[in-house]
Amino acid sequence: MNALEVKHLIKCFDSREVVSDISFNVEKGQLLALLGPSGCGKTTTLRIIAGLDIQNDGEIWIEGVLASHGSKSLIPQRLRHIGMVFQDLALWPHMTVCENIEFGLKAKGLAKTERHKKIDAVLTKVKMQKYANEYPSRLSGGQQQLIAIARAIVTEPKLLLMDEPLSNIDVKLREDVRQEIRRIQHETQITTVYVTHDQEDAFLLANKVVVMNAGKVEQTGNTEEIYSFPKSLFVANFVGESNVIDVKIVGKDKVSTPWGEFACNTKGHEKESAFLFFRPHQARIEKGGQFDGVIVNRNFVIGGYTYRISTSGREIKVQDLAKYEVGQSVKFSIKKMEVLLF
Amino acid sequence: MQKKLTLGFFFALFVCVTFLPIVWMFGNSIYGDGGFSFVYYKDIFLTQKYIKVISNSLILASITALLSSFVGIPAGFFLAKINLPFKGFFKMCFFIPLIIPSYTTGIAWANLLGKTGFLNNILSQYMLFSPESVSNFIYSIYGASFVLSINLFPVVMLITEYALKNLNPRLEESGLVTGSVFRVLRRITLPLITPAIISSMMIVFVLSLSEFGIPSLLQVNVLTTQIFTQFSAFYNEKAATAIAFPLIAITFVVMTLEQVYLQGKSFEILGRRGSNSTIKYDVKWLNVVGVIFCTLVLIGCVIIPLSTLVFSAQTISAYHDAILLAKRGITNSVLFGSIGATFLTFMGFFLGYLSEKIQSRLRNSTALFIWLFFAVPATVLGVGLIKLCNRPEGIFQFIYGSLWIVIIGYVARFSPLSSRIMANYLKQIPHSMEEAGTVIGASWYRVLGNILLPLQSHGLIATWLISFMFCIGEMGTTILVYPPGHETLPITLFTVMANSPANIVSALSIIIVVMTLLPVGVFLAISKYLIKSQIAQ
Repeated sequence: MNALEVKHLIKCFDSREVVSDISFNVEKGQLLALLGPSGCGKTTTLRIIAGLDIQNDGEIWIEGVLASHGSKSLIPQRLRHIGMVFQDLALWPHMTVCENIEFGLKAKGLAKTERHKKIDAVLTKVKMQKYANEYPSRLSGGQQQLIAIARAIVTEPKLLLMDEPLSNIDVKLREDVRQEIRRIQHETQITTVYVTHDQEDAFLLANKVVVMNAGKVEQTGNTEEIYSFPKSLFVANFVGESNVIDVKIVGKDKVSTPWGEFACNTKGHEKESAFLFFRPHQARIEKGGQFDGVIVNRNFVIGGYTYRISTSGREIKVQDLAKYEVGQSVKFSIKKMEVLLF
Repeated sequence: MQKKLTLGFFFALFVCVTFLPIVWMFGNSIYGDGGFSFVYYKDIFLTQKYIKVISNSLILASITALLSSFVGIPAGFFLAKINLPFKGFFKMCFFIPLIIPSYTTGIAWANLLGKTGFLNNILSQYMLFSPESVSNFIYSIYGASFVLSINLFPVVMLITEYALKNLNPRLEESGLVTGSVFRVLRRITLPLITPAIISSMMIVFVLSLSEFGIPSLLQVNVLTTQIFTQFSAFYNEKAATAIAFPLIAITFVVMTLEQVYLQGKSFEILGRRGSNSTIKYDVKWLNVVGVIFCTLVLIGCVIIPLSTLVFSAQTISAYHDAILLAKRGITNSVLFGSIGATFLTFMGFFLGYLSEKIQSRLRNSTALFIWLFFAVPATVLGVGLIKLCNRPEGIFQFIYGSLWIVIIGYVARFSPLSSRIMANYLKQIPHSMEEAGTVIGASWYRVLGNILLPLQSHGLIATWLISFMFCIGEMGTTILVYPPGHETLPITLFTVMANSPANIVSALSIIIVVMTLLPVGVFLAISKYLIKSQIAQ
């Protein structure tokens, strides 16, 4: 059984459709990432799942129970048993860490001893026991993140929703907190929907990724599928570094690129013009390479270099381990089995 | 559901105490003896006397708006844009005329410029003015405008300062790269804050139009005093209502225009949070002009009126006599003010929530609807409440004959203001604070009690104290609705003005001033304490 099913969801603000007929599901215990650029409708989708907004049409099923249908909420937000981590964390500044976590347990009517047992357990889980009596303002950004997660999971929700929780913290801390999120989610096995515009977050955390653009689902799949076999030009461009070159199909399995003809699979493409897509690491600088170019830019990245190579008036990105100088003429090849045509 | 019920209840209550009395009043004025009649309205629009009264009101409001801006715009500019020494002191003092009831300033200037006034003597001795001409000035529409602009210039000052401080500094910086300070001021800064200035002038216009205390004190015949006369002296409530009609119509039109004008025009100013990053014009002679200007304003608008009242009271025994005379008034004022402020705080919270926090298309219209009632003149509300509550049914009889009619008057008059204050405080709480509570499974009342209200403690205290301050000074509505034995301090003052010596009147005015300034002091002290404790956390 799916822990969450979103079916044909539509949401309009005034007359603008911000979520357009999207569907996806999450299996129990999985972490699904909703990945997309700002304004693509991913936070709106999350808020609809939480019951904070109501859709104009579509269905939300939580653990096999219909939570909302059409434009009607069948289960009010407070009865959906959902934990949520907000983008700004929304820790209540007038309450201590302990009181922040206790609030949800009190609302559920748990006895004091049971509440304290659960608070201790969850603080141990997020390794924040010693901060129980601190106010949130006294904690660092990363610690606040963990408290927000503790508050969201202490009630053992059916679903944990996270709205870009790492967007406001610096890169180093981000990595640590990401690891913690992964660990906590793995240990608790709470079904999680994680909204992010950061592909790194999505790829490192998620079992399954839903890429969204302009209110629509562009592609759903595991991280490898999304990265290696993007189904649309948007996904190809949005996820990872890429080269997208406009080409003309000049024959069966043959395209004309700015730097010469290139053999690749053209099956399924009827139009004359198309876009050739390949990742920087799918091109190689090598002595006997197919095409000529000049290096115009070099950047060091951990484990090698990325180059911008100017070729026939176009620039392409290439990744290579060896070091070449800017201005140097080189030859390069593209692995034809790994390119895609859109 | 809890949320909808609670907000619906408070909105309905607001409609009952503000909208209903006015609608009822107008309904009664055109319906009687089994049919509709517009005879009183015909009188208003066709009689020369009333046309004169309407034009008097418009002249009073226009001159006051202009005079207030002459003082308020430079004062706001100097506070925001130059390195003014003692800025905090000046700013605090400039608020005093706005906080204290306007008629106390009126009494002070009437004492000064009246026939036997100190300033009148000086002007007639050294500047060839006759004592009568000086006295005629203060007891004229121009004198009333002069006194009212002293009371209301802080509105213009505050909005100008706020607009200047919140102006995106990069807009000015990009001008300063190529042009002089004054070119930037003329071509960039002033055009950008013009909507805010016009808006502030419209607010002053509306407040002057609905002012009762000063025109009544200085015997100027305007619409608000005419309403009072028709109602209290001639017992002609239908005529009073008919006179209220143009007043309401003008104020509603101006307030709506103000709101429409502000929409979209002032985004550059109002869209940003308060900041201290504003560019300062560090020009030496401008600083000197600023200091001289602010000192003169301080002397003219604060020191002269307050010291006149203190000196006019002459002796300590005057205060003793005044307290004895107004003992019941003081007790009633404190009691009614406290109850009124408490109701206003709750009303303000929920109406402010409605105007700021609900996710509905109707939010802006609701906010405008509530705010429009701030423009309803006090005397009009008074007449409306009497019309609505003066009836034989038990509950109405009880309200009409008890302190509750005064409290309802306070709530009707000031709930738009308290809701605006609370809305501004509520704006500072992100929606997620509340949503985090409801998502976790708490009921709205639990979220309200444990999250929203505690987070708003500062706002609630501020709203209570400001409401208390306004209730203490309220006269226009109370003078019409108060039952025998329930007179407040301003009513006592109004009564003793006619039959007590000037020193007692001055002493009573000082007592009112102290009673209105006291909450401000308390508020400042509490604010400091809260800020300290927040830092300590």
